[in-house]
Amino acid sequence: MDWVVTGAAFMAAAVEFVEAFTIVLVVGVTINWKSAIVGALAAAATLAVIVAIFGVAIVKYVPIDILRIVVGVILVLFGLKWMKKALLRYSGLKALHDEEAIYEEHAAELRARGEGTTTALVPSAVALSYKSVLLEGLEVAFIVITFGSSASAASTAAGIGGIGSAAIGAAVAGILVILLGALVRAPLTKVPENTLKFVVGIMLTTFGTFWTVEGLNGSWLFSDAFLPILAALYLLASLVIIAWLRSTKQRAISTRTVQQKG
Amino acid sequence: MTKITNAINAVYNFIVGDMIILVGIVLALIILIIINAIPALGVVRPFLGTLFIIFILATLAATLAREAYSRKR
Repeated sequence: MDWVVTGAAFMAAAVEFVEAFTIVLVVGVTINWKSAIVGALAAAATLAVIVAIFGVAIVKYVPIDILRIVVGVILVLFGLKWMKKALLRYSGLKALHDEEAIYEEHAAELRARGEGTTTALVPSAVALSYKSVLLEGLEVAFIVITFGSSASAASTAAGIGGIGSAAIGAAVAGILVILLGALVRAPLTKVPENTLKFVVGIMLTTFGTFWTVEGLNGSWLFSDAFLPILAALYLLASLVIIAWLRSTKQRAISTRTVQQKG
Repeated sequence: MTKITNAINAVYNFIVGDMIILVGIVLALIILIIINAIPALGVVRPFLGTLFIIFILATLAATLAREAYSRKR
């Protein structure tokens, strides 16, 4: 098993499944657990099918150099998207993800629609649970397929080991979130979502950069051993950017205060 | 036409959702491909990785600067 791939998929899945769990919890508490669980399981099955079909197709039919470049660039784009959000949150320019507020918002919405507790399977509740797990899970499926397929291509062993490793990481995260949620029975507010998003963003950007250049027949100093150096470089750059964004925000607040007093 | 536009928009928002990041990375890729393809630029080829890292960091800084300064206004 490729532990780096498993780890990245685990962290990405943990963040997304925590967000999906909030909606499933709203449906379960406000309407009924039967509808919430049926919707969630249906979405999980859909995601498994998507990963199986696209993952196998990509690894078997796409030539390795094209796979590295295309998947590498996609990983860089996805990784930068996650890094950007995390850096904005760390610098205070964007609010942290508040699972409790999201829970209350959706619960109020369902109550306003006249949805109440019932024992029967409610189609709209099943659909809401299905949609939330599917939408959040699509990002995880995307990471499992892209990250896993490039890892498979990069390894000397044949087969779809990379995707399998990533899928295992995602599945373990999903089970952990469900168990934690069942224990807590409330929105999982203590999960460090922003930190996980930041770490996964750096990992995706690092591997995306590495594989894109390899796909273009470029080479790296120390070969695979350059990966942790590259990750450290992106981390250092991120810390500098956070400091710069915070100082920009401070200057804006000071300017506004002076203008208000004047 | 609207359905196609909506689908493209959905994919764009799913993968990146930021035009500066998309343009920056696509531009970087084009430049790297050109360097790789033109024999006269062979002297730059050992620095493909370094160039890509610089492009990525510049793109990240550019999009965050836009966010920071648009909030200032």
